[in-house]
Amino acid sequence: MTNKHTDQPTGEVENTATNAAGVGIGTSTAADSTAAADVNATATGSSTTDNDSATDTVSDNSANTTGKDVVERPLGVFTRPEGGRGWRDWLSTVDHKKIGILYGVSAMFFFLVGGVEALLIRLQLAAPNGSVLSADVYNQVYTMHGVTMVFLFIMPLAAAFANYFIPLQIGARDVAFPRLNALSFWIWLSGAIFLNTSWIVGGGGADCGWFCYSPNSGVAFSPSHGVDFYAVGLQILGIASLVSAVNLIVTCLNMRAPGMTLMRMPILTWMLLITQFLLLFALPVITVALFLLMFDRLFGAQFFNPDAGADPLLWQHLFWIFGHPEVYIIILPSFGIISEVIPAFSRKPIFGYQFMVASGIAIGFMGWGVWAHHMFVSGIGPLSVAAFSLSTMFIAVPTGVKVLNWLATMWDGKLRFTVAMKFAVATVAMFTIGGLSGVTHSVAPANTQQTDTYYIVAHFHYVIFGGGVLGMFAGIYYWWPKIWGYLLNERLGNWHFWIMLVGFNLTFGPMHILGLQGMSRRIDTYATGYGFEAWNMVSTVGSFLIAFAVLLFLLNVWKSKRGSPYLQPPGPDPWDARTLEWMIPSPPPVHNFDTIPSVHTRDEWWHRKYAENEQGEVVSVVTAEEAAQTGDAKGVHLPSPSFWPLAVAVGFPLIGYGIIFNLWLALVGGLIVLTSLYSWAMEPADNPDTQHDDHDHLQHDDDNAHTEDHDNQDSQDSASESPDDNKDNKQLTVA
Amino acid sequence: MNRTMHSRPRIKVLSILVGLILTAASACASDAELDTFAPQGAIAEELHSRAVVPVFVIAGLVLIFIGIVLFWLIKKYRVNEYEDDTGWPAQTHGHTPLEWSWTAGFFFTMLVVAALMIWATPTINSTKANAADVVVDGVSILWEPTVVVIGNQWWWEFRYYFNDQVTLESLREIGDAKNLPPADIVTSGQMMIPISEEIELIITSRDVIHSFWIPALNGKRDAVPNRFSPWKIEASERGVYFGQCTEFCGLSHSRMQMQVVALSDEEFQDWINSTTQDAPKLVASDTTVFRGQEVFAGTCTSCHLVEGLNDSTYERADQASEAAPNLTHFANRSTFAGGILNTYNADGSFNRRDMERWLRTPEEVKANYTVPGEQYRGMPNLNLSEQQIDDLVEYLRILGEQPADWIIEATQVE
Repeated sequence: MTNKHTDQPTGEVENTATNAAGVGIGTSTAADSTAAADVNATATGSSTTDNDSATDTVSDNSANTTGKDVVERPLGVFTRPEGGRGWRDWLSTVDHKKIGILYGVSAMFFFLVGGVEALLIRLQLAAPNGSVLSADVYNQVYTMHGVTMVFLFIMPLAAAFANYFIPLQIGARDVAFPRLNALSFWIWLSGAIFLNTSWIVGGGGADCGWFCYSPNSGVAFSPSHGVDFYAVGLQILGIASLVSAVNLIVTCLNMRAPGMTLMRMPILTWMLLITQFLLLFALPVITVALFLLMFDRLFGAQFFNPDAGADPLLWQHLFWIFGHPEVYIIILPSFGIISEVIPAFSRKPIFGYQFMVASGIAIGFMGWGVWAHHMFVSGIGPLSVAAFSLSTMFIAVPTGVKVLNWLATMWDGKLRFTVAMKFAVATVAMFTIGGLSGVTHSVAPANTQQTDTYYIVAHFHYVIFGGGVLGMFAGIYYWWPKIWGYLLNERLGNWHFWIMLVGFNLTFGPMHILGLQGMSRRIDTYATGYGFEAWNMVSTVGSFLIAFAVLLFLLNVWKSKRGSPYLQPPGPDPWDARTLEWMIPSPPPVHNFDTIPSVHTRDEWWHRKYAENEQGEVVSVVTAEEAAQTGDAKGVHLPSPSFWPLAVAVGFPLIGYGIIFNLWLALVGGLIVLTSLYSWAMEPADNPDTQHDDHDHLQHDDDNAHTEDHDNQDSQDSASESPDDNKDNKQLTVA
Repeated sequence: MNRTMHSRPRIKVLSILVGLILTAASACASDAELDTFAPQGAIAEELHSRAVVPVFVIAGLVLIFIGIVLFWLIKKYRVNEYEDDTGWPAQTHGHTPLEWSWTAGFFFTMLVVAALMIWATPTINSTKANAADVVVDGVSILWEPTVVVIGNQWWWEFRYYFNDQVTLESLREIGDAKNLPPADIVTSGQMMIPISEEIELIITSRDVIHSFWIPALNGKRDAVPNRFSPWKIEASERGVYFGQCTEFCGLSHSRMQMQVVALSDEEFQDWINSTTQDAPKLVASDTTVFRGQEVFAGTCTSCHLVEGLNDSTYERADQASEAAPNLTHFANRSTFAGGILNTYNADGSFNRRDMERWLRTPEEVKANYTVPGEQYRGMPNLNLSEQQIDDLVEYLRILGEQPADWIIEATQVE
């Protein structure tokens, strides 16, 4: 295999719309197998990069048509779409980068939804005897705030990073199953929309808390359809996460570039891989619980009915066996992000790579043995309490190791406090506070005073917002130029950062005090005289500062985008960073890598640019611009787009409404799902009307990632290649 | 990027944080009724000194250590003018002994915390075999102080068994809270206990999960239907101790409160004497009180019990959440409506205003789920006339003796 990273295919680079012309003559040396491992991976044409257009360049299949023989359609009626422009392209895309963007943008939308819910909560609690919301509406709003932020914001935002960066960081052209990837997103979006339609058609949101303890979640105690939407909606979202978890695990294990051993994978990819395993094992548990709840509520089952002898703690165990790993599902991606950002801006490698990986794995394992610390006061018995108290304490060890390793990464570095670095360092600091308040309630006796008070609310917001969301923002500022081809404004970013940090601490810091003063969680109002007034007002003011900071972020996006044509493009590697995603143009070409890089070391990209002399000093070998790929490879074999993932996803909400309101509707939804799945299976690997360049599918860097279905594809391919395959055909253009 | 521009906000944040911590310390020292840092009895004090304080100290020290290191790193290694700085620091990849040492450091820190937990655990799980002398109906009884605590949407019931004393085991035999044996005293909202006695609580629920918590006397324990969980409290001083349901229990979770009133031995005996009596059954007359009794018997008794007036079996208690507080000694309690309203004003007069409001528009005081004729959870609006409300208030105020002035006074939270 000719994977020398230096021999870039030189094509028509120069920022012109090379796609328009028929330049894509033939055979690219770059078409180096690997990426397109989807069973239908095909796609044809020349890939070029449109360097001067930062964003929405759409795939333009300036379709062929000319000079092409009519080829035999292997399966008759079904064809593959060819991308096209605008929304059609987004609806049918199987490109992991576009799917990542779809995840990210949708997650940010739901961040605003959950944020509005948070502001309503804070308005209600700003003063005693609040009357902004009724008790009923308050319960719905705080429930949906939690559900939205966990399932519709942080998880999909992490999925956005996972989708976009796992293939780039391991040197792949796409994920293992591109259409399944699209399916994950569309099912997630359909579930998210379904969940929120309960406000309109379900008589309100769920009102049982995101934890939805039985028997309060039963029909007798929560008569509206809100909890039905919760039970069904989270199952739909669970399908999305499961599909995505399998896909990304296979991607990480099978699609790595030559030489990218597991212990050379970037920490972000490692943490995301661990997260996917957690999802894979945690989601079935909550799905079981939700399934039982659904049957209780809609079909008269008695799983959680104490009057029929049920033990209400069954739900708690099922929920928290999922729920605690969920905490690490939320936090590990952020740990991964700051493990990339801190080294990049400290200009040092991550300190103790092995310890960082091992502690992540340890957290992943130990996260399964601590769930009952959510139940210390539920009456599970002193021995269980003591055992789970111990396991909870010791999960602090790998977490603490991570914190000190981040600090050690900064030690002796040359710290550049860009906005991304500020967010990353703030993540370390805020997470440390959240982690240590966690230690205080790992001690079961002390926990009896703290649990279910605002002290816990403070704790987990320091972990999830301080550790999770701030870390995600670090990632957003860090990778923004890679994704969009322009930098976010640092000055506005600074305002965003400081206002968000101050707002965050004003919102959640006082909650520690409120909790220790005895303010219970989930109360829709409180009376005067308990000393809660002042701190609640501070907290509400802080929450509006956070909201303002989020608006500043959106303003920053808008202004930076507007100003970007007048600025120098950031180039492939604006931060002088270390990992493979920085060796390709910004934004990346649709095929990611012109040639799949051979990896010889951890931080491969940095080692291509720099070497260390005998004194251990860093010397530049070649500049980033020289070492980076140009992104103009031709004829890269890529998977064809498909509308069927979207079609499958459309069926799920219908099944959901059907289960809740009228089973006939579920039948319609089920038929849509089945028909779409059948059509998906019957969809040809290639668009039979198009031919493609040599895919050299026999040259795999390792014999993985290609399921036996690939044989299918081979045969289909050969069937579709007419003997006089004249190779000059269509361009597939590229964002 | 000049330095001052960044360091100013940083100092501001730092000072805000320090300010928060200092104010937190002072706020916790205040006399907020639910303050978890102000234990008022032997159990809570032990919990506080053995578990809460040490773990806060340890966590605080670690936080200070990491905070100092972080700020030092930022100060020392920050590069402000980096646009043209292409230099690189030494590329340190790690230091295995160092990393093992801080792994061990965290491990041993957590071992200390674990030892703390193990040391403190008996304080919340052990029970003392104490006994108090009480006289019930003229008979002297050695009472192992035990109160059965039952959560309901959205009020707490407290049951006292003197003659046929119950234990955790005997109740677990019964299995659920809807078939409890008749008790000598059934009250709600306000639990009376003798001071300096460890009171065993047996906590359960009739509908959803609640959590019983009197921060000054001990941590919390969930009230779970079909389960009987042991807990305990102890108060060293006479006083009224406040609590709030802390497990989300539906619509009016925030309005589910409770109080523990710690009495001297004599006061406690007096309370037993008065509350083991049935309510008077008034003979027909043209008085407001009698008319009130008639309204009560015609309307309220479908859910509420007044011993001496309606049958002493717990009517309709087998239906979810339709149990309602036993009102036999309503006027003896200084709080009503699930612990959120005061029965008496600070000057000792009957709180007619709130009482009437509660009868007239209960849903405004405390949201409820009502499906008329089928389901009542929470006090429903019975569409009473003003006349009926006046009569009922007169009747309710004769149910039980007015509590001591100090209790009425201590109930006022302002």
